[in-house]
Amino acid sequence: MPLLEIRNLVVRYGEIEALRGVTCAVEEGQVVTLLGANGAGKSTTLRAISGLAKPTSGDILYDGKSIAGLGPEAIVRMGISHVPEGRRVFPGLTVKENIMLGASNRRAATSEISREADAMFDLFPDIRKFTNALGWTLSGGQLQMVAVARGLMAKPRLLLLDEPSLGLAPVIVQAVFKIISEIRRNTTVLLVEQNARMGLSVADYGYVLETGRIVLGGKPDELWGNEAIRAAYLGGHAKVSA
Amino acid sequence: MDLALQLLFTGIGIGAVYALVALGFVLIFRATNVVNFAQGEFSMVAAYLMVVAVEAGLPYWAAFIVALLGMALLGVVFNLGVYYPLRHRTYLPVIIATIGASILLANSVLAIYGPQPQVLEGWFETPGIQVGPVYLDSQYLLIIGVTICLVIFNFWFFEKTLLGKKLQATSQDKEMASLLGISVSTMIMITFIYSAVLGGLAGILVAPVLFVSIQMGSTIALKAFAATIIGGFGDVTGAIIGGLALGVIETFGAAYISVPYKDGFAFLVLIAFLIFRPQGIFGERVAEKA
Repeated sequence: MPLLEIRNLVVRYGEIEALRGVTCAVEEGQVVTLLGANGAGKSTTLRAISGLAKPTSGDILYDGKSIAGLGPEAIVRMGISHVPEGRRVFPGLTVKENIMLGASNRRAATSEISREADAMFDLFPDIRKFTNALGWTLSGGQLQMVAVARGLMAKPRLLLLDEPSLGLAPVIVQAVFKIISEIRRNTTVLLVEQNARMGLSVADYGYVLETGRIVLGGKPDELWGNEAIRAAYLGGHAKVSA
Repeated sequence: MDLALQLLFTGIGIGAVYALVALGFVLIFRATNVVNFAQGEFSMVAAYLMVVAVEAGLPYWAAFIVALLGMALLGVVFNLGVYYPLRHRTYLPVIIATIGASILLANSVLAIYGPQPQVLEGWFETPGIQVGPVYLDSQYLLIIGVTICLVIFNFWFFEKTLLGKKLQATSQDKEMASLLGISVSTMIMITFIYSAVLGGLAGILVAPVLFVSIQMGSTIALKAFAATIIGGFGDVTGAIIGGLALGVIETFGAAYISVPYKDGFAFLVLIAFLIFRPQGIFGERVAEKA
């Protein structure tokens, strides 16, 4: 049984049908990448899983149980943590406070949460020196680190990452993906990426979304092998082994 | 000089009341992005609750607790009845609902108690003490003392506790807060209860200085609203400084320029700020949300 299974998911925003029957699965322990152009429905898929978008029809099964239609507060308590697009670090709180709030989905003493947040800086040494800096003073890459650290504080079984590389310098993108490859040791990851090359480089499996539908799914090398897909989504001019 | 010191004391005393109500304004505004136009009515209702409880024969301290518990309850009812049903709408229906609630509260009290202003005795037997050239009225001393304690409590609560941080997170980005498992509706409930109690406390404290009347709410609220704009809308420190400044300015204005225009000075300062420094003393410190 997959950890997450999406069946025929339809999501409408008013008149617009953002997802028109998405079906896909994420196996426990894997990193799965969702690829596609702008507006294909990648973020909407994640928002539906975490409860921010209400499914019109279809089902989302997590650990065999339906979570479609539950609110975000309930879903994160079940162990699905969503690091949304745009990082959404609280601008008026410090880095440490932001990270500590990531544990709001579970019961733990404040002192315990504080210790765990300090330990988080071992995984993200670059932001350690900003422990007491306010969120709005940080750069894009630093914000991304804080957002992922905060997402991990929920101790999720499934981590949803939306466009972690967006707007970051190549060096920073490398650093972020290095962290993703460390996270995967004990957490299942569903990753949305526009940067297909980076997305597939860490993935066990990939799906391609096109205008609200999954048009292709496969292992990274299979996706690379598909000429049409490579031309359309993966910037297929250079052959790169995944 | 002696007169100036005396005026400064009185001004800070009345300014502290504005500061408490302004704090209520700011906290609700930050949590819901809406100005609560019934904030002043919270002070008025609390003062009446206090009058009722004292007339019922309760000792002063018990009446005080009853009035504050009543305000906490009003905060709950207000949230559930006025804000919660409209929370997914734009700010406009919510603002209109708070104006409606303010009219409802004022007229309910009017219907029950009539238009005659009530008198609430002060807390202390001793009316005040003379320190050098300045006469310290005991009720003003109490107001200032309670305000100082509340400002310290407020700082500790929002800066040092995890619950305070969750409240701040909710006011900065509700969707993200809910993604982390923070119960947004609980946070907003806490904000309304806290703001109603703050406003109520201001009303109870100022009641012995003013008359307890239906209009006291709107007078205090207008001044407090001016204070929040002077301080910088949405800023907690600004609300407190703005409230104190306004109290001092109007007291000095009344003493040195004109007593009948006492209320006018507050609004003159407000207009000056709106023209020359609309962002207030402290401006907006938190950058625009992503």
